[in-house]
Amino acid sequence: MLLSVENLRVKYGNIEALHGISFHVDRGEIVALIGANGAGKTTTLLSIMRLPPPEAPKVVEGDIKYEGQSILGMEPHDVVRKLHMDLSPEGRRIFGNLTVMENLVLATYARKDGEEAVARDLDRVLSLFPRLSERRRQRSESLSGGEQQMLAVGRAIMTGCDFILLDEPSMGLAPLLMYEMFRTLKKLNEQGLTVLLIEQNAKVALSFAHRGYVLDTGEIKTSGTAEELRNDPEVKKAYLGG
Amino acid sequence: MKRLSVPALLAAVFAVLVWASQTGAMNIYWQSVVMFMGVNIILSSSLNIINGNMGEFSCGHAGFMAVGAYVSSVLSVALFAKSAAFGDPLLSPHLAVWIFPLVLLAGALAASLVGLLVAIPSFKTRGDYLAIITIAAAYIVKSTIENIGIIGGARGFMGMSSVMRAMNDTANLPWIMIWVVLGTIFSVWLIRRFIYSTFGKGVDAISQDEIAAEIMSVDTDRVKLVAFMVSCGLAGLAGGLFAHILGYVNPGSFTILKSTEVMVMVYLGGMGSLSGSVLSAILITLLMEALRPLQIVKWVVIPLLLVLLMQFRPEGIMGRRELADVFPGLRKFYKFKG
Repeated sequence: MLLSVENLRVKYGNIEALHGISFHVDRGEIVALIGANGAGKTTTLLSIMRLPPPEAPKVVEGDIKYEGQSILGMEPHDVVRKLHMDLSPEGRRIFGNLTVMENLVLATYARKDGEEAVARDLDRVLSLFPRLSERRRQRSESLSGGEQQMLAVGRAIMTGCDFILLDEPSMGLAPLLMYEMFRTLKKLNEQGLTVLLIEQNAKVALSFAHRGYVLDTGEIKTSGTAEELRNDPEVKKAYLGG
Repeated sequence: MKRLSVPALLAAVFAVLVWASQTGAMNIYWQSVVMFMGVNIILSSSLNIINGNMGEFSCGHAGFMAVGAYVSSVLSVALFAKSAAFGDPLLSPHLAVWIFPLVLLAGALAASLVGLLVAIPSFKTRGDYLAIITIAAAYIVKSTIENIGIIGGARGFMGMSSVMRAMNDTANLPWIMIWVVLGTIFSVWLIRRFIYSTFGKGVDAISQDEIAAEIMSVDTDRVKLVAFMVSCGLAGLAGGLFAHILGYVNPGSFTILKSTEVMVMVYLGGMGSLSGSVLSAILITLLMEALRPLQIVKWVVIPLLLVLLMQFRPEGIMGRRELADVFPGLRKFYKFKG
């Protein structure tokens, strides 16, 4: 198990957002966490990234383990540097007044694995997302929503991570762009990237993921392979539109 | 030529200023204007790291300047001059020329340590809240100084002129001009190195989005700590020079008005533009002198100019750009990074 979340309970102030959830991600998998608004999906990712309050909740019980070691004491920048795990956050949070290229280069801030590896990753990102390559000198705030999403993913890869947490990559994307995005993610996964994905669009998520968990108001309701979930009558009714 | 043009230019400026002060080609008044210009350049370009590059809001720069001014003044008087407070000099006054840079450095270090007062709260807060903390820090410094009797309290502290005289006895050169020009060049060089370093990129990232900076592997606490310490330390260096130019310091020189003056320079120059900060420090110093005959009315005219500036050019003289972005021809003479 690469990442395991064990009986995680977290609070924002006095409000408990996750009531003891457990799940795990193996190396090389695409795992989808699906659920409605307010189910606690983003909260889960923020907790895993160890972002500090008030952005993220406080862990009151349970544990988050990376290869069996608790990471509760870590800071976000160490999660990126040491565990090679990175988040493509909700709302993308790219650096708007920097160019596309500057955003990608900034992500290599703490990399110590040499210029060759950085250049290789840059090539990889620019060939996976040709649109970013076309607009590399453009200020990133002038990109369209879809392109910004690509930049957020590309930027995470540029930190040298091999495990990416994606917060609603489909948000605000036209269907065509969304499928392009997921195809690219699939390609990255085949190259060895582990993906933990949260999505409201359960249909798309479950067609790309290997396994999935259904999160509902802070609890895991169901879990299984993507196919099992796609055929689960409850899931069908609640998330897949009948 | 590319590598040498800027160092050569700076060396020439240095030589001309020293020569002009030595021979009297530049009178005492203009010497002091030039020296205050140097101090203001250090102050504005160092504050620019925090308010411009890092996007935080510090209004307590005068406080750190005060720490540097007092620590270096007390040290230099105790070491090299006979005074009522500290008695006979601890070292031979002839050593002053050699040890004075260390004295300034000690003032700068002290100021950067006091900068922790602001840096540590900045881990958790930013914006208006941090601004209030910086004001508070500056007041803590000022009140502390006012209440330490041995350094003169509110009456101020003097004796630095005898240290400068001692340097003159060792070698008849315009020492204070030399220190100010060297200190200014050193500071701007250091800031330039800092903002174009990897750390500088982290500072940029923090100014835009701290959370995004963290997930881009930037250790935001560490970057803030270093940025605040560099900035406050240089303010302390400016304070040390300021005290030795005047030969006298009192806590009244380091009020919020002084901090505001420095902030005005930063905003006039353009946030996050090092060359803008340098240019506007020069401009403001000249403007202050030109308006001196107006006396107190000066404080009507200067704020009015600011209001007009914000109305018609809110991004300041340079915006976020540097000199080389405005005049690309300059790139012929120097390799600009960035």
